[in-house]
Amino acid sequence: MTDSGSEPRAPGRGIAAWAIASAVLMAVAIIGAFFVAPENADGDIQSILYLHVPLAMMSLGAFLVACVAGILYLRRRDERYDEVVAVSVGLGLLFVILTIISGSIWARGYWGTWWRWQDPRLVTYLIIALIYAAFFVLRNSSEDDSRARFSAVFAVVGFVSVPLSFYAVRRAQDAVHPTPIDSNGIHIDSGILLWLVVAQVAVAVVFVTLLKLELLQRRTDRALGRLRRVLEDTA
Amino acid sequence: MSARRQFRALVLKDLRLELRTRDTAVAMTLFVVIAMVVLQFGFGTRESDLTRFAGGLLWVPLAFAAVLGVGRSYVAEREQRVLDGLLVAPVSRFVMLLARAVAIVGYLLAVQVVAVPLLGIFFVKGPYWGDIGWLMLACLLADIAIGVLGTLVAAMAVFTRARELVLPVIFLPLLVPVVIAAAGATHAVVGPNDMAQYRNYCLFLAGIAVTFGLVAYATFDAVFDD
Repeated sequence: MTDSGSEPRAPGRGIAAWAIASAVLMAVAIIGAFFVAPENADGDIQSILYLHVPLAMMSLGAFLVACVAGILYLRRRDERYDEVVAVSVGLGLLFVILTIISGSIWARGYWGTWWRWQDPRLVTYLIIALIYAAFFVLRNSSEDDSRARFSAVFAVVGFVSVPLSFYAVRRAQDAVHPTPIDSNGIHIDSGILLWLVVAQVAVAVVFVTLLKLELLQRRTDRALGRLRRVLEDTA
Repeated sequence: MSARRQFRALVLKDLRLELRTRDTAVAMTLFVVIAMVVLQFGFGTRESDLTRFAGGLLWVPLAFAAVLGVGRSYVAEREQRVLDGLLVAPVSRFVMLLARAVAIVGYLLAVQVVAVPLLGIFFVKGPYWGDIGWLMLACLLADIAIGVLGTLVAAMAVFTRARELVLPVIFLPLLVPVVIAAAGATHAVVGPNDMAQYRNYCLFLAGIAVTFGLVAYATFDAVFDD
Protein backbone atom coordinates (compact mmCIF):
# COMPACT_ATOMS: atom_id res chain seq x y z
CA MET A 1 0.00 0.00 0.00
CA THR A 2 1.47 3.31 -0.95
CA ASP A 3 0.92 6.59 0.71
CA SER A 4 -0.84 9.21 -1.35
CA GLY A 5 1.95 11.69 -0.62
CA SER A 6 -0.44 14.55 0.11
CA GLU A 7 -1.78 15.53 3.51
CA PRO A 8 -5.29 14.03 3.73
CA ARG A 9 -8.12 16.46 4.24
CA ALA A 10 -9.62 16.38 7.71
CA PRO A 11 -12.43 13.80 7.34
CA GLY A 12 -14.39 15.36 10.18
CA ARG A 13 -14.78 18.64 8.36
CA GLY A 14 -18.44 19.62 8.12
CA ILE A 15 -19.66 16.49 9.82
CA ALA A 16 -21.77 18.45 12.32
CA ALA A 17 -23.61 20.14 9.42
CA TRP A 18 -24.22 16.76 7.78
CA ALA A 19 -25.53 15.29 11.05
CA ILE A 20 -27.93 18.21 11.56
CA ALA A 21 -29.11 17.97 7.94
CA SER A 22 -29.67 14.19 8.42
CA ALA A 23 -31.75 14.70 11.55
CA VAL A 24 -33.84 17.50 10.06
CA LEU A 25 -34.45 15.72 6.75
CA MET A 26 -35.33 12.42 8.43
CA ALA A 27 -37.77 14.22 10.74
CA VAL A 28 -39.38 15.99 7.77
CA ALA A 29 -39.55 12.71 5.81
CA ILE A 30 -41.15 10.80 8.71
CA ILE A 31 -43.69 13.53 9.43
CA GLY A 32 -44.47 13.84 5.73
CA ALA A 33 -44.81 10.07 5.23
CA PHE A 34 -47.11 9.50 8.21
CA PHE A 35 -49.12 12.73 8.48
CA VAL A 36 -49.02 14.69 5.22
CA ALA A 37 -48.68 12.29 2.27
CA PRO A 38 -51.98 11.20 0.70
CA GLU A 39 -53.13 7.67 1.49
CA ASN A 40 -53.77 5.25 -1.30
CA ALA A 41 -56.00 2.16 -1.45
CA ASP A 42 -53.47 0.07 0.49
CA GLY A 43 -54.05 2.05 3.70
CA ASP A 44 -51.52 2.41 6.54
CA ILE A 45 -49.17 -0.30 5.29
CA GLN A 46 -48.10 1.92 2.38
CA SER A 47 -46.33 4.25 4.86
CA ILE A 48 -43.51 1.73 5.24
CA LEU A 49 -42.71 2.20 1.55
CA TYR A 50 -41.41 5.70 2.33
CA LEU A 51 -38.62 3.91 4.20
CA HIS A 52 -38.38 0.72 2.15
CA VAL A 53 -37.91 2.24 -1.32
CA PRO A 54 -35.27 4.86 -0.35
CA LEU A 55 -33.32 2.26 1.65
CA ALA A 56 -33.37 -0.12 -1.30
CA MET A 57 -32.20 2.59 -3.71
CA MET A 58 -29.53 3.86 -1.31
CA SER A 59 -28.14 0.38 -0.69
CA LEU A 60 -27.43 0.07 -4.40
CA GLY A 61 -25.94 3.57 -4.28
CA ALA A 62 -23.64 2.45 -1.45
CA PHE A 63 -22.48 -0.58 -3.45
CA LEU A 64 -21.85 1.67 -6.46
CA VAL A 65 -19.71 3.92 -4.24
CA ALA A 66 -17.83 0.82 -3.02
CA CYS A 67 -17.30 -0.37 -6.61
CA VAL A 68 -15.98 3.01 -7.77
CA ALA A 69 -13.75 3.29 -4.68
CA GLY A 70 -12.53 -0.27 -5.38
CA ILE A 71 -11.57 0.66 -8.94
CA LEU A 72 -9.83 3.82 -7.66
CA TYR A 73 -7.95 1.74 -5.07
CA LEU A 74 -6.78 -0.73 -7.71
CA ARG A 75 -5.52 2.17 -9.85
CA ARG A 76 -3.94 4.36 -7.16
CA ARG A 77 -3.30 2.05 -4.15
CA ASP A 78 -4.37 4.76 -1.74
CA GLU A 79 -5.64 3.15 1.45
CA ARG A 80 -8.25 5.89 1.90
CA TYR A 81 -10.16 4.29 -0.99
CA ASP A 82 -9.95 0.93 0.77
CA GLU A 83 -11.60 2.49 3.81
CA VAL A 84 -14.37 3.88 1.60
CA VAL A 85 -14.87 0.40 0.10
CA ALA A 86 -15.19 -1.26 3.50
CA VAL A 87 -17.44 1.39 5.03
CA SER A 88 -19.69 1.68 1.96
CA VAL A 89 -20.19 -2.08 1.77
CA GLY A 90 -20.96 -2.16 5.50
CA LEU A 91 -23.54 0.61 5.20
CA GLY A 92 -24.97 -0.88 2.00
CA LEU A 93 -25.35 -4.24 3.72
CA LEU A 94 -27.11 -2.55 6.65
CA PHE A 95 -29.50 -0.82 4.23
CA VAL A 96 -30.13 -4.09 2.36
CA ILE A 97 -31.01 -5.88 5.60
CA LEU A 98 -33.35 -3.02 6.55
CA THR A 99 -34.85 -3.20 3.04
CA ILE A 100 -35.53 -6.93 3.44
CA ILE A 101 -37.04 -6.46 6.91
CA SER A 102 -39.26 -3.54 5.83
CA GLY A 103 -40.23 -5.40 2.64
CA SER A 104 -41.10 -8.46 4.66
CA ILE A 105 -43.30 -6.39 7.00
CA TRP A 106 -44.99 -4.82 3.97
CA ALA A 107 -45.51 -8.29 2.41
CA ARG A 108 -47.14 -9.48 5.64
CA GLY A 109 -49.58 -6.55 5.55
CA TYR A 110 -50.19 -6.62 1.80
CA TRP A 111 -50.10 -10.34 0.95
CA GLY A 112 -50.56 -11.86 4.43
CA THR A 113 -47.19 -13.63 4.36
CA TRP A 114 -43.71 -12.63 5.54
CA TRP A 115 -41.95 -13.95 2.46
CA ARG A 116 -42.79 -14.70 -1.17
CA TRP A 117 -40.27 -16.41 -3.41
CA GLN A 118 -42.28 -15.08 -6.39
CA ASP A 119 -41.24 -11.53 -5.51
CA PRO A 120 -38.08 -11.06 -7.61
CA ARG A 121 -36.93 -7.90 -5.85
CA LEU A 122 -37.15 -9.31 -2.34
CA VAL A 123 -35.34 -12.48 -3.47
CA THR A 124 -32.70 -10.46 -5.32
CA TYR A 125 -32.05 -8.36 -2.23
CA LEU A 126 -31.56 -11.56 -0.24
CA ILE A 127 -28.94 -12.70 -2.77
CA ILE A 128 -27.30 -9.25 -2.65
CA ALA A 129 -27.21 -9.45 1.16
CA LEU A 130 -25.47 -12.84 0.94
CA ILE A 131 -22.94 -11.55 -1.61
CA TYR A 132 -21.98 -8.54 0.49
CA ALA A 133 -21.99 -10.50 3.76
CA ALA A 134 -19.45 -12.76 2.04
CA PHE A 135 -17.37 -9.61 1.38
CA PHE A 136 -16.65 -9.38 5.11
CA VAL A 137 -15.79 -13.08 5.37
CA LEU A 138 -13.19 -12.56 2.62
CA ARG A 139 -11.93 -9.31 4.11
CA ASN A 140 -11.60 -10.63 7.65
CA SER A 141 -9.88 -13.80 6.52
CA SER A 142 -7.37 -12.01 4.26
CA GLU A 143 -3.79 -11.29 5.30
CA ASP A 144 -2.87 -7.65 5.90
CA ASP A 145 -0.94 -7.30 2.63
CA SER A 146 -3.80 -8.56 0.45
CA ARG A 147 -6.88 -7.36 2.35
CA ALA A 148 -7.37 -4.08 0.48
CA ARG A 149 -6.73 -5.62 -2.95
CA PHE A 150 -9.14 -8.51 -2.41
CA SER A 151 -11.77 -6.17 -0.98
CA ALA A 152 -11.51 -3.89 -3.99
CA VAL A 153 -11.76 -6.78 -6.47
CA PHE A 154 -14.72 -8.29 -4.65
CA ALA A 155 -16.49 -4.91 -4.48
CA VAL A 156 -16.27 -4.72 -8.28
CA VAL A 157 -17.34 -8.35 -8.87
CA GLY A 158 -20.18 -8.02 -6.35
CA PHE A 159 -21.56 -4.88 -7.95
CA VAL A 160 -21.41 -6.41 -11.44
CA SER A 161 -23.34 -9.45 -10.20
CA VAL A 162 -26.22 -7.32 -8.83
CA PRO A 163 -27.97 -6.68 -12.19
CA LEU A 164 -27.21 -10.26 -13.27
CA SER A 165 -28.88 -11.62 -10.12
CA PHE A 166 -31.83 -9.27 -10.57
CA TYR A 167 -32.37 -10.31 -14.18
CA ALA A 168 -31.92 -14.03 -13.42
CA VAL A 169 -34.44 -14.00 -10.56
CA ARG A 170 -36.90 -11.98 -12.62
CA ARG A 171 -36.61 -14.40 -15.54
CA ALA A 172 -37.06 -17.41 -13.30
CA GLN A 173 -40.43 -16.53 -11.86
CA ASP A 174 -43.53 -14.50 -12.48
CA ALA A 175 -43.12 -11.07 -10.95
CA VAL A 176 -45.60 -10.13 -8.24
CA HIS A 177 -43.78 -7.04 -6.97
CA PRO A 178 -45.65 -3.79 -7.63
CA THR A 179 -43.89 -1.83 -10.40
CA PRO A 180 -44.86 1.83 -10.07
CA ILE A 181 -42.07 2.80 -12.48
CA ASP A 182 -41.91 0.97 -15.80
CA SER A 183 -41.30 1.65 -19.47
CA ASN A 184 -44.66 3.44 -19.71
CA GLY A 185 -43.69 6.02 -17.10
CA ILE A 186 -44.22 6.69 -13.39
CA HIS A 187 -47.56 5.52 -12.00
CA ILE A 188 -47.44 7.20 -8.60
CA ASP A 189 -49.65 9.94 -7.20
CA SER A 190 -47.70 13.22 -7.27
CA GLY A 191 -48.19 13.73 -3.50
CA ILE A 192 -46.77 10.29 -2.73
CA LEU A 193 -43.92 10.82 -5.21
CA LEU A 194 -42.97 14.11 -3.55
CA TRP A 195 -42.60 12.47 -0.13
CA LEU A 196 -40.77 9.51 -1.62
CA VAL A 197 -38.23 11.94 -3.08
CA VAL A 198 -37.90 13.73 0.29
CA ALA A 199 -37.34 10.37 2.04
CA GLN A 200 -34.81 9.38 -0.64
CA VAL A 201 -32.84 12.59 -0.11
CA ALA A 202 -33.00 12.09 3.68
CA VAL A 203 -31.66 8.52 3.46
CA ALA A 204 -28.91 9.66 1.04
CA VAL A 205 -27.83 12.37 3.49
CA VAL A 206 -27.87 9.83 6.35
CA PHE A 207 -25.62 7.58 4.23
CA VAL A 208 -23.11 10.38 3.59
CA THR A 209 -23.14 11.33 7.28
CA LEU A 210 -22.56 7.76 8.45
CA LEU A 211 -19.84 7.29 5.82
CA LYS A 212 -18.01 10.42 6.95
CA LEU A 213 -18.44 9.50 10.61
CA GLU A 214 -17.07 5.99 10.15
CA LEU A 215 -14.13 7.25 8.06
CA LEU A 216 -13.39 9.83 10.75
CA GLN A 217 -13.40 7.13 13.41
CA ARG A 218 -11.07 4.88 11.42
CA ARG A 219 -8.62 7.68 10.71
CA THR A 220 -8.70 8.80 14.33
CA ASP A 221 -7.96 5.22 15.41
CA ARG A 222 -5.00 5.12 13.05
CA ALA A 223 -3.69 8.47 14.28
CA LEU A 224 -4.00 7.30 17.88
CA GLY A 225 -2.09 4.14 17.01
CA ARG A 226 0.72 6.18 15.49
CA LEU A 227 0.78 8.46 18.54
CA ARG A 228 0.90 5.46 20.90
CA ARG A 229 3.87 4.01 19.00
CA VAL A 230 5.71 7.35 19.15
CA LEU A 231 5.08 7.58 22.89
CA GLU A 232 6.25 4.00 23.43
CA ASP A 233 9.42 4.71 21.44
CA THR A 234 10.24 7.84 23.42
CA ALA A 235 9.42 6.29 26.84
CA MET B 1 7.69 -18.16 -25.15
CA SER B 2 4.59 -16.89 -26.94
CA ALA B 3 1.32 -16.45 -25.06
CA ARG B 4 -0.21 -19.32 -27.03
CA ARG B 5 2.56 -21.73 -25.98
CA GLN B 6 2.34 -20.54 -22.39
CA PHE B 7 -1.40 -21.15 -22.46
CA ARG B 8 -0.99 -24.63 -23.94
CA ALA B 9 1.73 -25.52 -21.43
CA LEU B 10 -0.41 -24.41 -18.48
CA VAL B 11 -3.53 -26.26 -19.66
CA LEU B 12 -1.52 -29.41 -20.36
CA LYS B 13 0.10 -29.11 -16.93
CA ASP B 14 -3.35 -29.10 -15.26
CA LEU B 15 -4.70 -31.92 -17.39
CA ARG B 16 -1.57 -34.08 -16.96
CA LEU B 17 -1.70 -33.53 -13.22
CA GLU B 18 -5.33 -34.60 -13.20
CA LEU B 19 -4.71 -37.65 -15.40
CA ARG B 20 -1.88 -38.79 -13.11
CA THR B 21 -3.60 -38.24 -9.79
CA ARG B 22 -7.30 -38.47 -10.80
CA ASP B 23 -8.21 -36.79 -7.54
CA THR B 24 -10.39 -33.91 -8.78
CA ALA B 25 -12.67 -34.90 -11.69
CA VAL B 26 -13.35 -38.40 -10.32
CA ALA B 27 -14.18 -37.08 -6.85
CA MET B 28 -16.37 -34.32 -8.36
CA THR B 29 -18.27 -36.87 -10.47
CA LEU B 30 -18.87 -39.15 -7.52
CA PHE B 31 -19.93 -36.17 -5.42
CA VAL B 32 -22.51 -35.10 -8.03
CA VAL B 33 -23.98 -38.62 -8.29
CA ILE B 34 -24.21 -38.94 -4.51
CA ALA B 35 -25.74 -35.46 -4.17
CA MET B 36 -28.37 -36.21 -6.85
CA VAL B 37 -29.41 -39.37 -4.99
CA VAL B 38 -29.45 -37.62 -1.62
CA LEU B 39 -31.47 -34.71 -3.05
CA GLN B 40 -34.05 -37.15 -4.38
CA PHE B 41 -34.53 -38.47 -0.86
CA GLY B 42 -34.54 -34.90 0.43
CA PHE B 43 -37.63 -34.19 -1.65
CA GLY B 44 -39.31 -37.01 0.28
CA THR B 45 -41.18 -38.26 -2.76
CA ARG B 46 -41.49 -41.69 -4.31
CA GLU B 47 -42.68 -40.32 -7.66
CA SER B 48 -40.93 -41.79 -10.67
CA ASP B 49 -41.32 -38.54 -12.59
CA LEU B 50 -39.23 -35.71 -11.14
CA THR B 51 -38.99 -33.87 -14.46
CA ARG B 52 -40.13 -30.57 -12.98
CA PHE B 53 -37.24 -30.68 -10.48
CA ALA B 54 -34.68 -31.70 -13.11
CA GLY B 55 -32.98 -28.30 -13.33
CA GLY B 56 -32.36 -28.17 -9.59
CA LEU B 57 -31.43 -31.84 -9.32
CA LEU B 58 -28.68 -31.29 -11.88
CA TRP B 59 -27.43 -27.81 -11.05
CA VAL B 60 -27.41 -27.75 -7.26
CA PRO B 61 -24.97 -30.70 -7.13
CA LEU B 62 -22.99 -29.25 -10.03
CA ALA B 63 -22.66 -25.88 -8.29
CA PHE B 64 -21.33 -27.51 -5.13
CA ALA B 65 -19.04 -29.76 -7.16
CA ALA B 66 -17.73 -26.69 -8.98
CA VAL B 67 -16.83 -25.11 -5.64
CA LEU B 68 -14.95 -28.24 -4.62
CA GLY B 69 -13.17 -28.56 -7.96
CA VAL B 70 -12.19 -24.90 -8.21
CA GLY B 71 -10.82 -24.88 -4.68
CA ARG B 72 -8.97 -28.14 -5.17
CA SER B 73 -7.27 -26.91 -8.33
CA TYR B 74 -5.55 -24.07 -6.48
CA VAL B 75 -4.88 -25.79 -3.16
CA ALA B 76 -2.70 -28.43 -4.78
CA GLU B 77 -0.63 -25.71 -6.46
CA ARG B 78 -0.29 -23.72 -3.26
CA GLU B 79 0.80 -26.74 -1.23
CA GLN B 80 3.46 -27.76 -3.78
CA ARG B 81 4.48 -24.09 -4.28
CA VAL B 82 3.79 -24.35 -8.03
CA LEU B 83 1.90 -21.08 -7.79
CA ASP B 84 4.97 -19.27 -6.43
CA GLY B 85 6.97 -20.54 -9.39
CA LEU B 86 4.31 -19.42 -11.84
CA LEU B 87 4.08 -15.98 -10.28
CA VAL B 88 7.80 -15.28 -10.72
CA ALA B 89 7.83 -16.77 -14.24
CA PRO B 90 7.32 -14.39 -17.19
CA VAL B 91 3.76 -15.56 -17.77
CA SER B 92 1.01 -13.02 -18.21
CA ARG B 93 -1.72 -13.14 -15.59
CA PHE B 94 -4.31 -13.20 -18.36
CA VAL B 95 -2.83 -16.42 -19.74
CA MET B 96 -2.89 -17.90 -16.22
CA LEU B 97 -6.56 -16.91 -15.87
CA LEU B 98 -7.49 -18.34 -19.24
CA ALA B 99 -5.61 -21.61 -18.74
CA ARG B 100 -7.09 -22.23 -15.31
CA ALA B 101 -10.61 -21.39 -16.53
CA VAL B 102 -10.20 -23.85 -19.43
CA ALA B 103 -9.01 -26.57 -17.03
CA ILE B 104 -12.04 -25.99 -14.78
CA VAL B 105 -14.37 -26.14 -17.80
CA GLY B 106 -12.70 -29.45 -18.67
CA TYR B 107 -13.31 -30.86 -15.18
CA LEU B 108 -16.94 -29.75 -15.25
CA LEU B 109 -17.57 -31.18 -18.72
CA ALA B 110 -16.09 -34.50 -17.58
CA VAL B 111 -18.54 -34.52 -14.67
CA GLN B 112 -21.47 -33.56 -16.89
CA VAL B 113 -20.74 -36.36 -19.37
CA VAL B 114 -21.82 -38.66 -16.53
CA ALA B 115 -24.35 -36.46 -14.72
CA VAL B 116 -26.48 -35.38 -17.70
CA PRO B 117 -27.33 -38.93 -18.88
CA LEU B 118 -27.92 -39.96 -15.26
CA LEU B 119 -30.46 -37.15 -14.95
CA GLY B 120 -32.45 -38.77 -17.75
CA ILE B 121 -32.19 -42.26 -16.26
CA PHE B 122 -33.06 -41.27 -12.71
CA PHE B 123 -35.48 -38.39 -12.90
CA VAL B 124 -36.90 -37.51 -16.30
CA LYS B 125 -39.92 -39.21 -17.74
CA GLY B 126 -40.64 -38.93 -21.44
CA PRO B 127 -38.36 -38.14 -24.38
CA TYR B 128 -34.92 -37.07 -23.20
CA TRP B 129 -32.04 -38.58 -25.14
CA GLY B 130 -32.57 -36.43 -28.23
CA ASP B 131 -32.14 -33.32 -26.09
CA ILE B 132 -28.77 -34.22 -24.57
CA GLY B 133 -26.93 -32.14 -27.16
CA TRP B 134 -28.94 -29.02 -26.26
CA LEU B 135 -28.37 -29.73 -22.58
CA MET B 136 -24.62 -30.10 -23.04
CA LEU B 137 -24.54 -26.77 -24.89
CA ALA B 138 -26.20 -25.06 -21.91
CA CYS B 139 -23.73 -26.88 -19.65
CA LEU B 140 -20.79 -25.57 -21.70
CA LEU B 141 -22.00 -21.96 -21.48
CA ALA B 142 -22.58 -22.27 -17.74
CA ASP B 143 -19.18 -23.95 -17.32
CA ILE B 144 -17.42 -21.04 -19.02
CA ALA B 145 -19.07 -18.59 -16.60
CA ILE B 146 -18.25 -20.84 -13.64
CA GLY B 147 -14.68 -21.36 -14.84
CA VAL B 148 -13.90 -17.67 -15.24
CA LEU B 149 -15.59 -16.56 -12.02
CA GLY B 150 -14.21 -19.54 -10.09
CA THR B 151 -10.66 -18.84 -11.23
CA LEU B 152 -10.92 -15.25 -10.00
CA VAL B 153 -12.51 -15.88 -6.59
CA ALA B 154 -10.47 -19.00 -5.84
CA ALA B 155 -7.26 -17.07 -6.55
CA MET B 156 -8.27 -14.77 -3.69
CA ALA B 157 -9.66 -17.46 -1.39
CA VAL B 158 -6.52 -19.59 -1.61
CA PHE B 159 -4.50 -16.80 0.02
CA THR B 160 -6.89 -16.39 2.97
CA ARG B 161 -6.56 -18.01 6.37
CA ALA B 162 -9.78 -20.07 6.28
CA ARG B 163 -9.67 -20.85 2.56
CA GLU B 164 -11.81 -24.04 2.71
CA LEU B 165 -14.63 -22.01 4.25
CA VAL B 166 -14.08 -18.73 2.45
CA LEU B 167 -14.33 -20.12 -1.09
CA PRO B 168 -17.89 -21.52 -0.88
CA VAL B 169 -19.09 -18.47 1.06
CA ILE B 170 -17.85 -15.98 -1.56
CA PHE B 171 -18.35 -18.17 -4.66
CA LEU B 172 -21.87 -19.58 -4.21
CA PRO B 173 -23.80 -16.28 -3.90
CA LEU B 174 -22.05 -15.01 -7.04
CA LEU B 175 -23.00 -18.24 -8.81
CA VAL B 176 -26.73 -17.79 -8.20
CA PRO B 177 -27.47 -16.15 -11.61
CA VAL B 178 -25.57 -18.94 -13.37
CA VAL B 179 -27.46 -21.65 -11.46
CA ILE B 180 -30.83 -19.97 -12.13
CA ALA B 181 -30.13 -19.62 -15.86
CA ALA B 182 -28.62 -23.09 -16.26
CA ALA B 183 -31.45 -24.73 -14.30
CA GLY B 184 -33.96 -22.71 -16.36
CA ALA B 185 -32.36 -23.87 -19.63
CA THR B 186 -32.37 -27.49 -18.38
CA HIS B 187 -36.00 -27.27 -17.37
CA ALA B 188 -36.94 -25.63 -20.69
CA VAL B 189 -35.43 -28.59 -22.57
CA VAL B 190 -36.53 -31.56 -20.45
CA GLY B 191 -39.85 -30.14 -19.29
CA PRO B 192 -42.07 -28.21 -21.71
CA ASN B 193 -39.46 -28.42 -24.50
CA ASP B 194 -39.77 -24.65 -24.88
CA MET B 195 -36.87 -23.82 -27.19
CA ALA B 196 -37.55 -20.07 -27.19
CA GLN B 197 -37.11 -20.03 -23.42
CA TYR B 198 -34.06 -22.28 -23.73
CA ARG B 199 -32.49 -19.86 -26.23
CA ASN B 200 -33.12 -16.89 -23.92
CA TYR B 201 -31.50 -18.67 -20.99
CA CYS B 202 -28.51 -19.67 -23.14
CA LEU B 203 -28.07 -16.08 -24.34
CA PHE B 204 -28.20 -14.94 -20.73
CA LEU B 205 -25.59 -17.56 -19.77
CA ALA B 206 -23.36 -16.31 -22.59
CA GLY B 207 -23.89 -12.75 -21.34
CA ILE B 208 -22.90 -13.76 -17.79
CA ALA B 209 -19.79 -15.51 -19.10
CA VAL B 210 -18.74 -12.44 -21.10
CA THR B 211 -19.47 -10.07 -18.18
CA PHE B 212 -17.55 -12.09 -15.60
CA GLY B 213 -14.82 -12.65 -18.19
CA LEU B 214 -14.32 -8.90 -18.64
CA VAL B 215 -14.31 -8.29 -14.88
CA ALA B 216 -11.82 -11.10 -14.32
CA TYR B 217 -9.62 -9.80 -17.16
CA ALA B 218 -9.64 -6.31 -15.61
CA THR B 219 -8.98 -7.38 -12.00
CA PHE B 220 -6.97 -10.63 -12.12
CA ASP B 221 -3.64 -8.77 -12.18
CA ALA B 222 -4.51 -7.08 -8.90
CA VAL B 223 -5.10 -10.40 -7.12
CA PHE B 224 -1.44 -11.39 -7.53
CA ASP B 225 -0.05 -7.89 -7.22
CA ASP B 226 2.78 -8.51 -4.80
